[in-house]
Amino acid sequence: MIEFINLSKKFKEKYAVKNLNLTFNDGEISVLIGPSGCGKTTTLKMINRLIEPTEGNIKINNKSIFDFDEISLRRSIGYVIQEIGLFPHYTIYKNISIVPELLKWEKGKIDKRVNELMDLINLPRTYLNRCPKELSGGEKQRIGVARALASDPEILLMDEPFGAIDPINRKSLQDFFVELQKALKKTVIFVTHDILEAIKIGDRIGIMKDGEMIQFDKPQEILKRPKNKFVEELLGVNRNILRLTLNKVLDFVKKDFKIINKDEVKEIKNFNDSLYIIKNENNYDGFILKKDFEKGRDCIREIVFINENENFLDTIILLLSKGEKVAVIKCIERGIMGYVEINDLIRAFEKEEYELSN
Amino acid sequence: MDYLLNNLNSILKRTYEHLYIVSISLIISMILGIIIGILISRDKKIASITLKMISILFTIPSLSLFGILISILSPFKLGIGKFPAIIALIIYTLLPITRNTYTAIISIDKGIIESAKGMGMNWGEIIRKIIFPLSIPLLMAGIRNGFVLGIGVGSISFLIGAGGLGYYIFEGIERSNNNMIFTGVITISFLSVFINYSLYFIERSLTPKGVRK
Repeated sequence: MIEFINLSKKFKEKYAVKNLNLTFNDGEISVLIGPSGCGKTTTLKMINRLIEPTEGNIKINNKSIFDFDEISLRRSIGYVIQEIGLFPHYTIYKNISIVPELLKWEKGKIDKRVNELMDLINLPRTYLNRCPKELSGGEKQRIGVARALASDPEILLMDEPFGAIDPINRKSLQDFFVELQKALKKTVIFVTHDILEAIKIGDRIGIMKDGEMIQFDKPQEILKRPKNKFVEELLGVNRNILRLTLNKVLDFVKKDFKIINKDEVKEIKNFNDSLYIIKNENNYDGFILKKDFEKGRDCIREIVFINENENFLDTIILLLSKGEKVAVIKCIERGIMGYVEINDLIRAFEKEEYELSN
Repeated sequence: MDYLLNNLNSILKRTYEHLYIVSISLIISMILGIIIGILISRDKKIASITLKMISILFTIPSLSLFGILISILSPFKLGIGKFPAIIALIIYTLLPITRNTYTAIISIDKGIIESAKGMGMNWGEIIRKIIFPLSIPLLMAGIRNGFVLGIGVGSISFLIGAGGLGYYIFEGIERSNNNMIFTGVITISFLSVFINYSLYFIERSLTPKGVRK
């Protein structure tokens, strides 16, 4: 747990960070966001004392950061920055093992840990002997994350880690990081200026302006109830649409379906389930909806597959673009989990909207 | 050519003398230059003032510098000989070495230093593990520059009694002996080229694989 107590930083009489009182929960990603110069990076760097606070205190697990020796404090906290900062003269192996080396781990333990980390970030071990310049931007940033995780710190500080990466790779890095966090449950403080990124990965979002914390809350809450005009503007005109990205389709999954073989289609007389998925050996050919069948139409439709983590917005866009009304949720490990209907999604959203306006 | 072969012994002796003066001054200048370079890299203003001062010293013509040194050092009975020559060479070679050290350090990506600091390296570790290996190419280029420069200026230091290969050139001119002049020019040029390339190969082998072009 990280606690800020009346935390301030002055640069030449001007407050860069003003009187913050906050608590960051363990195992959560807390995102700090705001326009440039709002003090978000300064706030982050005070945690590992790259910048010394002028007033107030920071406590990590109830121990003040001033009770730590500065160097050992930094060694116990993972740190990832936008420029990545991989050391170009070190191999990937040496880059990842920097903190364990500094902590004087023995060789065998470092070896084991480095290999473990390469598996964790999903890069081949053959990369270990390469130099950073032989890797792509996205790969380098994964190595940057691995390096920060090397000594298995409880806390991870990330300063716009995906900021310099092209949009496509950024999205996959965000997905990668969200997945990683599910397994690792680190306490992450993450600075960004990208509101979409904040909403996507944050368990909590702190919106800052002129060194002050305007609103610190869960993304849903911030989107539903922005505290003032500034927050509203930061979230943008698409605020309501953004909310759609937070709702998971899995909450609206329907399970009254049946998988049948192709040759069984003609034998169906009474529909007990509302949806039949037609299997043809290892592929899925299409599906039949009960209500279509009753109207007597030739009604095998193409299946739109989505994965189990999909959100409302992406699902609705996908269905609209394919001209379909039903999406089937297919999970890599567990196969077909059910289906969702676009109308349910829209209705649920409308209901939420209605509740908010009352 | 005959002259060259007939005087091989004394040529070698003077080459040794020449290299001796230049190497001693270069070693001192390297130590000074690298320390100054590291120190000034922490503050831009101080760096600019220091480098300007060293540049001014650098622009003093070598002959006048010897003159100045003679007048300063003669009260201590050190006005002529190897000592003022070494001092002069240090002053000349200091600029390329200091400037290159400084440039090497400040041109290292800020993110790299910040990461190193954020991961808990102390200042000494940052210098040793990060800044030094990354500065090698530029640093070595500075030393190479300094050495070649030193060999050139070193030939003039013959005039203040420091010996060296300058002997052949100045004595040759005095005696209108073309063979002597030729010998001096050839040996000095050969020495420069040789030193330059040897240092270049050392530089290449010291440069870490990841930063090689």
